[in-house]
This record gives sequence, structure tokens and C-alpha cells, in this order.
Amino acid sequence: MTAPVISNVPEPSSVEPTPHRPAPRVRWRTPRWMRGTVLVWIAAVVLAVAVLCAVLAPWLAPYDPARIDLMNQSASPSAAHWFGTDSLGRDMLSRMMHGARTALLGPLLVVIGSTILGMLLGLLAAWRGGWVDAVLARLFDLLFAFPALLLAILAVALFGKGLVAPVIAMAIAYAPIVARLTRQLVLAEKQRAYVSAYRVQGFGGGWIALNRVLPNVTPVVGAQSTLNFGYVLAELAGLSFLGLGVQAPQSDWGSMINEAQVGLLSGHYLPAIIPAVAVVLVVVAVNILGEEFAERIGGNKA
Amino acid sequence: MNIVRSVGGKLAGLVLTLFLASLLVFFSRFLVPGDPLSFLLRGRKPSPEAIAAVTEQYGLNLSPWEQYLKWIGGIFIGDFGRSMQYRQSVSEVLLDRLPVTLGLVIIAGLLITVFGLAAGILAAVKRGTWVDRTVVVTLTAFGAIPSFVAAVGFIALFAVQLGWFPSFGSGEGFWDTIRHLILPSAALALVYVVLIGKVTRSAMVEQLGREHVEVATSRGLTQAAVVRRHVLRNAVGPILTVSGMLVAGLLVSSSIIESAFGLSGLGSLLVQSVDRLDFPVVQAIVLLVVAVFVAVNAVVDLLQPLVDPRTVAGAGAR
Amino acid sequence: MSLLEISQLTMDLPGGKRLLHGIDLIVEPGRTVGLVGESGSGKSLTARTALGLFPEKAKLGGSVKVDGTEVLGLSGSALRALRLNDVAMVFQDPRAGINPVRTLGDHLTEALRLGEGVSGEAARKRAMELMEAVRLPRPDKHFHQYPHELSGGQLQRIMIAGALMGNPRLLVCDEPTTALDVTTQAEIVRLLATLRDERGMGMLFITHDLGLAGALCDDVVVLAGGRVQERGDMAAVLANPSAQYTQRLVAATPSLHLDDAVPAAVTGASLPDGAGPASVAGRHEAAPASQVGAPEAGQGTWAGDGVVEPLLRVDGVRRTYAVRGKDPVTAVADASFVIPRGSALGVVGESGSGKSTLARMVVGLETPDAGTITVAGKDRTGTPRGREARLAHARSVQMVFQDPYLSLDPRIPVHRAVRDAASLHADGRDAAKVATELLDRVGLTPEQQQALPRTLSGGQRQRVAMARALAVQPELLVMDEATSALDVSVQAQVLQLVTELRAERGLTVLFISHDLGVVRRVCDETLVLRRGEIVEAGPTAELLDHPAHEYTRLLLDSVPRPDAGWRLAG
Repeated sequence: MTAPVISNVPEPSSVEPTPHRPAPRVRWRTPRWMRGTVLVWIAAVVLAVAVLCAVLAPWLAPYDPARIDLMNQSASPSAAHWFGTDSLGRDMLSRMMHGARTALLGPLLVVIGSTILGMLLGLLAAWRGGWVDAVLARLFDLLFAFPALLLAILAVALFGKGLVAPVIAMAIAYAPIVARLTRQLVLAEKQRAYVSAYRVQGFGGGWIALNRVLPNVTPVVGAQSTLNFGYVLAELAGLSFLGLGVQAPQSDWGSMINEAQVGLLSGHYLPAIIPAVAVVLVVVAVNILGEEFAERIGGNKA
Repeated sequence: MNIVRSVGGKLAGLVLTLFLASLLVFFSRFLVPGDPLSFLLRGRKPSPEAIAAVTEQYGLNLSPWEQYLKWIGGIFIGDFGRSMQYRQSVSEVLLDRLPVTLGLVIIAGLLITVFGLAAGILAAVKRGTWVDRTVVVTLTAFGAIPSFVAAVGFIALFAVQLGWFPSFGSGEGFWDTIRHLILPSAALALVYVVLIGKVTRSAMVEQLGREHVEVATSRGLTQAAVVRRHVLRNAVGPILTVSGMLVAGLLVSSSIIESAFGLSGLGSLLVQSVDRLDFPVVQAIVLLVVAVFVAVNAVVDLLQPLVDPRTVAGAGAR
Repeated sequence: MSLLEISQLTMDLPGGKRLLHGIDLIVEPGRTVGLVGESGSGKSLTARTALGLFPEKAKLGGSVKVDGTEVLGLSGSALRALRLNDVAMVFQDPRAGINPVRTLGDHLTEALRLGEGVSGEAARKRAMELMEAVRLPRPDKHFHQYPHELSGGQLQRIMIAGALMGNPRLLVCDEPTTALDVTTQAEIVRLLATLRDERGMGMLFITHDLGLAGALCDDVVVLAGGRVQERGDMAAVLANPSAQYTQRLVAATPSLHLDDAVPAAVTGASLPDGAGPASVAGRHEAAPASQVGAPEAGQGTWAGDGVVEPLLRVDGVRRTYAVRGKDPVTAVADASFVIPRGSALGVVGESGSGKSTLARMVVGLETPDAGTITVAGKDRTGTPRGREARLAHARSVQMVFQDPYLSLDPRIPVHRAVRDAASLHADGRDAAKVATELLDRVGLTPEQQQALPRTLSGGQRQRVAMARALAVQPELLVMDEATSALDVSVQAQVLQLVTELRAERGLTVLFISHDLGVVRRVCDETLVLRRGEIVEAGPTAELLDHPAHEYTRLLLDSVPRPDAGWRLAG
């Protein structure tokens, strides 16, 4: 045999997919230790308790959360006040329950808004491609430069304190995160031959995108949105910690920590610790559930 | 040739993003219904001179585009307008507050780099063992602590209970300032240590599963050499990209930390200006944060070809 | 003493699953042993133990000796010495196997520099020598290049050079050519044979392709399900396989039957005589005389002047792609051909030949830059616009895609997938009934029909894809590398199904493949594509027996066969 001729030109591999076969390799599933069911159950219970408190606060709360009792300032926990009272003598348990409403409702609205907006924009960018994609990519780039909390603060500066403006601002700030993920997932799906197969069968592009591709990316986006819920909760609580969110007399976990800060220096930790622990518990619970969710999807992908 | 073009393209993208961001920051004011003058002078009883001054400063009798050009033109020569709450120009106010924030962010950055990378590398190298599990569980737990909770917790524990660090203010002189900044920096860094740690771990674990790592092992390299030359080296790209994305969040979180610790930096100034309806200062700080974010990410983009040679050829790798 | 002696090797996963059930294998110096098996047979796991590479938590039993030294349980430093000096490995995919962010020079020299403390200059000199030895054109330039700057074939040469840096006595090759085109594969295999002879190395060659093993190896060990099915002299095993598994594998391997169109295994289901103008049976004997629309075999274009109006007429079709910062790539240049109704046309080419682009244009996924495509007398050029056009196009042409793992919607149970396609083109039929009939026909059990795609094997998925395509009742079926991702035995079953369906339904087929053996089995006529141009076309048997164009001859010479003469390379 003569010496083989070596072509110096790299194959134009971009033009056509080369036939490939799955590499014969042994793989193990990700270790199950993080998916411990006990942990997941605890997380679910924590979240359920928080949601129940929020929904049923007006009926469950033993006191009016705004009732000031100057005879009973900074009281320790007792049978009358399970969590004690704050520096104005207000019942901590009642304030926690009512605070759960704003603490959970805000993030929920942000997550719903950003998910819907983000998925539609991401789908549009990936499906249409071309200049639509380019323009949207530029828009996402721009919004990435405005972290959610900054956009929320700007919204407060413009429209005044309260929950409405920051929630809208954060929904807009989180939308590009969802949109980029959706875009990336849809692009990957578009590469898969089943999309071409639908086209060849005569189904229309819009139908394929909305009825077949979107449902296939929804679980992964949903997992991301669940995780986002935790981040948003922390950030909105941070905003009210700064005094820019929910205004008195309404209670909110973030503003409760803010109000309790002065007491810290004189050793009254409890009014700060209780809402702080609540925030951390709910965020951890949501993160655990979100990761469990993501893990399950990962395991299900064939 | 290729490099020149890609650098040029990235610079153009940088300028475009900055331009669009400035439009957003400036024209956001127009979203507020009603008279711009009364918006800017909210909560104040303006004297006729003040009204005239604000009208002049914002060019309120000009068309919106002329107003923008006047504003952005001023910024190019360092003129951000005048603060409503102080009798000073905005740039003077900002310069006053800059050192504290700079110190805070630099110390936090060091903490994030050292502890985040260490945790991630340790977990990745020992993946699947109890070391990995401990690191990941610790990171997950810390990751759920919002910075204001961390701040309050640190104050209660290290400042009030143990008395190791001061709880309030920014101190005087170099060492005293550092002492005052350690606790706030740690509270600021906490969440980002977790994020960098997780990214480092997952980027390295991903590389560990790649065939080129198995090839390197099969050729008789030591485990340490494989990790250093083929795992860590290849994980630098993703870590760098994520670090760039985190910068903006870090800057904004500093407003919470500064408020909690009573530091007079840019972050607390932002909050205070929102509270006191000082819109020119808010505008300036928002624009500053965005500009820093965009600049840092442009640098990361430009570094990327050094880290991964494929990005030179691929050009528009986002 | 044997160079490599594996005896009674077992491997268990922590969960208790046994992957290897007592493997015995011997490699003598200067000999090449083929380790042949389908995916999941344990061939890679077995071979890797020679370098002390195995999954972290696996439990091993038996022994693996290199030159009499036991490898299992060797200490870290002794293991590294073994990998540096005695045993080296060439991996399947050089794109994945060479670190993309380091230079090729670094890849070649790192083991020498870091492991043995050889100076940079000396290591560089050795790397240059070896790049010459593996016949890379510009060693001094490649030394500073990155992997993405080289082609797959060139990279595999780098990988081989890297494996030889430590002068190993045993070279383990794990499917080293699977990621490459056939002509490149032939070059690489010849190169390996040469290097082995020059250096007197022993070689353990892992492959799924019995034909490839036959072309290179002296001895063969056939693995399935982690057990040795058969071992012996390569030629003897091929000529006279004793194990049932090996017999089936020999029958199913297309490259072993290039000379006879319909191997025994396939003719088993005898086809009705005269099942159509393009009946497959007896094509070889019948020769071109019975050819309907017999084309003039020749260079360039091929326009049949058939007796019957051809079903598919492709006329002067061209497609170019713009590549950023480079000259546009011509994927298909001026292609013209026809397929008579009921016939099967094979389109053969390597990657980058434009064969998939051609398929995508015929089914309307892409629009040609020039030229026309006609199906049954109706213009079907370009992507259809509007619902009516889409449906009409779909009823003219359907397609079976390459990768069965990607071509079914993961969320939709297979019966529903077929039913959806049927009901879109219902024409008064009961879509559910149509789906059931078709899925029954392609051999899926009722439980499998209700299952999600991920629970099905590759072969079953490809059957579903065919049923789904047939549910539309197309006039033309395009199969784009539809069997190339399947194991050979599964591939044979799917090809058999294609043959049967053609006979039953008088289906016209456009069959895209890189595998000449497969084309021979299925197609009446064949055309050869190279870089977007048709270089040769004609009746399959004639084209393969008497290739006129040098490229066709090169393709044929590149098919790995026992008689290819690669074993005595030089």
C-alpha cells in the first residue's frame, strides 16, 4: 500500500452531522444522597406550613399584628405570646403570620410574571432566529446589567414605596434569565430530529413550537423558576429590610428584621432571629424542592 | 486579524449596551405620569429659584431628546447634576462615599475568590466522598442566607455577643477601617462564596467526566497533574464567565450591607437617596453600577480567548 | 510469556450488577487481537483494565498481567510507570480525547516531560519524529496548533503519535476509527498496521465492526453480554463461525457481503417474484437488463429517460451555505437524478458530501438555491408555505431520520405519535386503527405501542419512525442514515423490514448512507456524492462491481474487509 494521501483541509463538519453512535461507556446516576426523601419531605412541610400561615393568617393569628402594647415591650416567649413581643409590644407570632402573606405573595407574582414573559420571549428568539433573536439577545444583555434588586430600587425611586412597583420591576429583571434558559433549551430541541419530523409530517411551525416544543422545555424552566422563587423571596425581603418595600403598619419579615436591629445592641435577639430563621427556612425549603425537581427531570431525560 | 475584529466587535457591543442602559436610566423618569417638575421636587417646598435651577439643570423646557443629550453630555465631563438633599454636586457626593464601598467590595472579592475556589476545588477533587458531601451541604445551607440576614446574624454574634468586631461605622485610619470592614465584607461575600464554590465544583466535575481527562490519566500523569492541567485549567472559562455576571449583584447587595452596618458608602447612599427623593443621585448610582458591570464583563469577554482558544475562531461566542 | 494475559476477569458494580463474567484474553508480541462486540458487550471495559483503568467503585476479580506483572492492585507509581512505558491507548473520538484548550505539542510531550522529567527540547524532538511517523504534513506547525484547527483524521494521528511517545509494547485501540469517514478510517488502520510492524508492538483492537477486525487482526475474541462468545484465528472465525452469536454477527455485517447483494440471512424471507419493476430479489443475477429507466452510468449528472414517468425528479439542484468569515460552502452542486416509481436509490457519500442536505431539500426542510424537485409530476421545490402546501408535500415525501434517540418526541407515547400523523392526513381513515395496524406491522407489541420512546431500544424506535412516516401514506420515503446509529444485528433487522415494506407497498425509497454494504443490500440504483457533486451513478451491482470513477474505487477500497490487504501494510 502506498502512503495515504493526507488532506490538509479540515472537513466542513458544520455542513452535515456526522453519523455518530452512543459511546460505549458505563455511567452512574448522580448519587442519591442529595435526593434523600426525608429532606424533601421536611422541605415540603416547611413550605406548606408557611403557605397555610399566609393564607389563614386573619383567622389563625391570635392578635392584631399592628396592636401596640407598651406595657409589654420586648417580652420573652410565654403562653400568651408564643414568640414573645417586639419593641412596641406587638405579638411576634401574629406579625410573622401576616408577614408570611407579603413574603410569599410577592415572589409568587414575580415568578409567575417572569416565567410567562421569559418563556414567550425565549421561544420567540429561538424559534424565529435571525434578527428577532439578535434584537432580543441585545435586550437580554441590557437587562442583565440591571440586577433585580437595582431595578426594584429604581422602580421605588420612580413610583414610590410599596410592593407593586418592585414586583413588576423584578418580574422584568428575572424574565431574561428565564428567557435565556428557554432559548437555549428550545434551540437544543430544534436541533433534535423530532422537530424536523413534525415539519415533514406537515404540521405548522407555530403549532410545533407551542404544542410540542414548549411543553418539552417547561419542566426544566419550571425547576429554574422554583429556584428563582427563593432568590426573589430573599431580595424582596431585603428590599423591605431597607425600608423600601411594604410600609408600616403592614408587617413583613424583612421589615421586622430591620425594626429589630436596634434591639440587637441591647441583647434582644429574638425579634430579629425569628423572621431571619423564617426567611432562611423557606429559602432552603424552596431550594431543596427546586433541586429535587431539577434532579428528577434530569433522571427522566432518556 | 481575527482577534482585532472580535475585539472591535466586543467594544462596539459594550458601547451599545452602555448607550441603551443610559437611555433606560434616563427615560425611566418619563414613565412616571404627571409633571416632571413636581416629580423631581417631590416632598419639597420649592422656592422659585429652586424651580428655576431644576428646570435649567434638566432642561425641562427642551424636547426629551435634547434633555437626554444635555444629561449624557454632562456625564462625559463628570457632571451628574446637583443633589437635592445635599448642597453639593452629585459627583462630589459620590466621590465622598466611594472609598468605603471600594474597600468593602475589594475585601469581599478576596474572600469570595479564596474561599469559593477552595471549597469548589476541594469538593470536586473529593467528589462522591464525605468531604464533598460536607462541602456541598454547607454551601447549600449558607447559600440560603440572604445578605441582610447574614449581616444581622454577624452583628448579633461577632459584634454584640463576642465583641470581636465593631458593629457600626467605618472607622478611621487604615487598620481601623479594615477592622470595621471585615464583618460587612464577610456578610457580603457569603452568598457569592457559595455561588463561586458551586460553579467551580460543577465546572470541574463536568471536566472530570470528559474523555480528555481519561486520556491524560491513561498516559501516566499523576492525579495532581491531571487535575491542574486538564480539569482546573479547562474550568477557568465557565468560572470566569459566572464571576463576571455576579459583579452587578455584588454591588447592589453592598447597599443592604452598608445600611445594616451603618457604613456611609455608595450603597447606603442609594437607599438614602431613594428615601429622600433625591432622584439625580439615584440615577447616577444606577448608571455607575451598570457601567461597572458592563465594563467587567467586557474584560471577561476579552480574556476568554486566552482561556479557551476556540473562542477566537468561533467569534461571537456568547 | 505473553505480552498481555487476561484470565477469568470479572467486574461487578457496587449495586451487584456483574458487567464482565470471567474474560480470558491473550495478546502475544507482534500480534493483533480484535476484541469485537456490540454496544454494552463489555469490550471497552475489558481492554481498559490493561492500563489499570476501570470505574472507580467497580470490584474486579481474576487477573490482568502485562509481561507477567499483575496490573490489578498495582500501586499508583507502578501503575503510572506501566502507562508511561509499557501500555498505551488510542481512544475513540480524538475531538473529545485531546484537551481543546492546550496545544497539540503540549498534548504530545506532557507525559514525557512531567512523568519522566525529559527536557522540553528532547520531548519536542521526539514529538516531531512521531508526527513524521504518523505522516502528518506539517509537524513544526501542528506543534503549536490547537485541536480545533485540525481535521478528525489528523487529530487521530496526533492521538496515535501521543500514544507512541513512551515506546509502548502494547497498544490498545478503542474503536479508533468509529468517529471517522471510511476513507480516513482506511488510512488510519493502514497506519496502525505499519506502526505495529515497524515497532513489533502487540495490539488489542476494539471494534463493533467484524469486517474491520477482519481487515486488521490476526486473532479475534467475540464478546457479548460480558462473556466471551468465541475466540480463535480471525480468518477461521469469519469463514466458519461456530458460536451462534458469531454466525448472526457475520451474517449481519454488511461490509462482509459486498460481493453478494442478498446474503442468506436476508433472503430468508423470500420475496414474491415480480413484486414490482424494482424488485430486490435476484437483482444481482438479473443484471441491468431488467432495469427500468436504466440510466447512463457516467460522470456528472444522471437523468434517466425511463419508460415510466419517474416518481422523483431532481433537476439541477444546488445549495450553498454562508460560513461566517469564510468562503461559502457548496453542499450540493447541480445535482440531477430520477427515481422510477417503486425503485430504491442509494446516495452514498462521506460526511460533508452533501447527502443529508440533499435529503432535507427533497423533504422540503430546506429550499434549494437553484433547480427543481418534482414528485409524481408535481413541483415540490422548497419549503412548503401554507397548510395546504404543507400537507400536500407531506403526502408526497416522508423521511426517517438518522438518530432514533432524537427523532421521536420524548413526551409523546409512540402510538399517539403515529396516530397524530395519521389523523393529520386522515382522508376518512380511522387514525387510531391505522396507527395500531402500522405498529403491529413493524413488530411492536401492544405494551410497547403505549410506551414512551425512552423505554424502547434504538431498533424499536426506528421501527416507530418508519410506521409514523408510513401513516402519512407517502409516495416517496427518504431514509437519511436511518440505520447507521444501530448495532449491526439490529441494523440487519431494520433493513429487512425496509425490504419487506417495499415489496408489500411498492414504496419508492431514497436511501442515504455512508455504508456501501448497506446500500448494496437495499438499493437498486446508487449514486456517489463527493463534496456536493455526483461523481458516479448507476445500478448498484454494476457500480460496486465495476466502479468507473476513481473516488468510487477509493470508497470501495476503503471498506474494511478480510481481503483488503491492510494486515500486511507497508
